[in-house]
Amino acid sequence: MLKYFISILFIFLFFSAFSQEKTMDTVKYKDRYGLRIGIDIFQPVYSLFDKDKKGLEFVGDFRITKRFYVAAELGYSEATSKEDYFEFYTNGQYIKAGVDFNAYKNWIGMENMIVVGLRYAFSTFDQTLNEYTVNADPFLPNQTITTPVSYDGLNAQWIEFVLGLKAEILHNVFMGFSFRWNQMVTSKEPENFKNLYVPGFNKVYLNDNGFGFNYTISYLLPFYRK
Amino acid sequence: MKKQALYITLFSLLLSIIWSCERDDICIEENTPHLIIRFFDHENPTEYKKVINLKVQIEGIDGDYTNETITALTDSIAIPVKVTEDITSFKLILNGNNQDDANEDIFDLNYIREDVFVSRSCGYKTLYYDVTTSLINDNNNWIKSIETVKDPQDILNQNSDHVKIFH
Repeated sequence: MLKYFISILFIFLFFSAFSQEKTMDTVKYKDRYGLRIGIDIFQPVYSLFDKDKKGLEFVGDFRITKRFYVAAELGYSEATSKEDYFEFYTNGQYIKAGVDFNAYKNWIGMENMIVVGLRYAFSTFDQTLNEYTVNADPFLPNQTITTPVSYDGLNAQWIEFVLGLKAEILHNVFMGFSFRWNQMVTSKEPENFKNLYVPGFNKVYLNDNGFGFNYTISYLLPFYRK
Repeated sequence: MKKQALYITLFSLLLSIIWSCERDDICIEENTPHLIIRFFDHENPTEYKKVINLKVQIEGIDGDYTNETITALTDSIAIPVKVTEDITSFKLILNGNNQDDANEDIFDLNYIREDVFVSRSCGYKTLYYDVTTSLINDNNNWIKSIETVKDPQDILNQNSDHVKIFH
């Protein structure tokens, strides 16, 4: 046994070296994981200036990995749209679900975000054509037909690309905004009319896409650290 | 962090202003079609025959209908059809520029209307179905006969003529 003494000493030497490294790494910071819930304040403020639009939206996200979040929006909207030759009213609700990626590398202890996200959205809504005037030769006498026509039980599904910012302004309180570019996937269209406005999607442009915006205040409920 | 919040607020305020300034697309689709009439020779019904100094009026509307299709010498005209009634009476005046030679003929166009949605910028157009014509006899008609091209005749677009007039 004695003749191995030096060799055994060498093994312990290695062990001590390993333990040395471990003790030097104890300052590792643990990120907070939790549910963040909030509300859109853009829509209520917007309705003060534009009486034709009303809406409410709740937002939420849950952190799943260091940089990925599961995110969702739930909302209600009603809007009266005035066009050159007709006017219509849309009301309905929507849900959007997807992921957010944080493209911002935070300093230790900070939890700000540059959001790059993707959503799949679904909306059910009703449309009412309030009035229209036939687009005909101006030489002819014309009249505005004011008998409302209702188109109920419509729906639409679309994809949203999200770009935004989120910053922690107070402890656990976040403020942020996002821009959304929407592309329609399918929609149940009314007969002899078109879904020109969809709750959550907003105005539907000619090539079936649209734009969205929200400005949110949210609160983080921290669940654990990792 | 407070500075950051201020930037966010200012930036989104600016964008919401830009947002409200977007302009709608312009109407490029075809709207309510006009009635297209072609003039034929009553002695030789397959030949086009031009009308001299034609003036067009629509009953219930003041003034002459002027359009690039109605020129001094023409064998085809495009004129509007009422979108508020199921009948339009047209007054076609031959030699309309000359009080003494003017010959006024009236014909009625009867149809069933349907308003069809086109697009956001164009709105609705009226289409006319089961179109029939009837010439009012005034003992001095320059129009010998009038008929629709097809039976039944619809006016859905302006790609071809809808009514033939023989004179």
